Amino acid sequence: MNAGITSYCRITNDKVIVNAQTIDVPRTDSSWLNDIYHAANISYPKFFKMDNLAKAGFLGAELTLQDVGIDKTEPKKNIAVVCCNRSSSLDDDTAYQQTIQNPADYYPSPAVFVYTLANIVTGEISIRNKIMGESAFYVMEHCNPQKFCSFVRGAFSDKTIDACLCGWTEYNNGNCDVLFLFVTRNELNDLELNIEKLYR
Amino acid sequence: MEELITELKKEIIDVLNLEGMTPDDIDSDAPMFGDEGLALDSIDALELIVLLEKNYGIKLANAAAGKEVFKSVRTMAEYVSKNRTK
Repeated sequence: MNAGITSYCRITNDKVIVNAQTIDVPRTDSSWLNDIYHAANISYPKFFKMDNLAKAGFLGAELTLQDVGIDKTEPKKNIAVVCCNRSSSLDDDTAYQQTIQNPADYYPSPAVFVYTLANIVTGEISIRNKIMGESAFYVMEHCNPQKFCSFVRGAFSDKTIDACLCGWTEYNNGNCDVLFLFVTRNELNDLELNIEKLYR
Repeated sequence: MEELITELKKEIIDVLNLEGMTPDDIDSDAPMFGDEGLALDSIDALELIVLLEKNYGIKLANAAAGKEVFKSVRTMAEYVSKNRTK
């Protein structure tokens, strides 16, 4: 465990690390994100209806929270969710565009359309964990620990917030790049350094 | 009719991403919406409307009719059988 971080999860195209432990993910014919879902023994059928960005964020949050011990059934107003990424919902926007590209085959998909907003990720995480505190999604050029940290500090400016589930949640064109952290108010001082260290 | 029911079940599994389900897992007469059966939601309903139009040339303009059509896979198959244009 890193000093100053209750729990974290890192997901890239070929590895999953939770609190410094590499998770074994058996590969199947399914997608990498689906394989992680099965390896983590999660039971949440709605996962399969999500777009890849929401799946990536959902998995980052699930794995980060698995040992934190929060009650998923109890509404919580003292936890915030803050995410950021580079490509916003471009991956799903592109998928949606494909359903309306050809006038002769024009069938806009409602299920794809609902994910054409990046902040749906924070909604999915909040619904899953019954988190009712502040939630926000920011888009920035790259994972900048200083900016990332300032967004999290912003969430803590609400004095009712005791902890923040925050994540760099990037998914575009088959590339997955996720870092999630669960941070309490007392751990804020080390956050920027920890993001730098864990994102590498 | 049974052949169409099986075809619809496969299409439903595919368009609604019902991971791990096979046509045999779906009861033809079970409610598709609500807490029982497939427990589909409002976005699923919209996808089913798109499915009817795309695969069978059926435009379902009346939302009230949809409630009856999508009661179960069997009612959906009966509607498709009577109204399909492709």
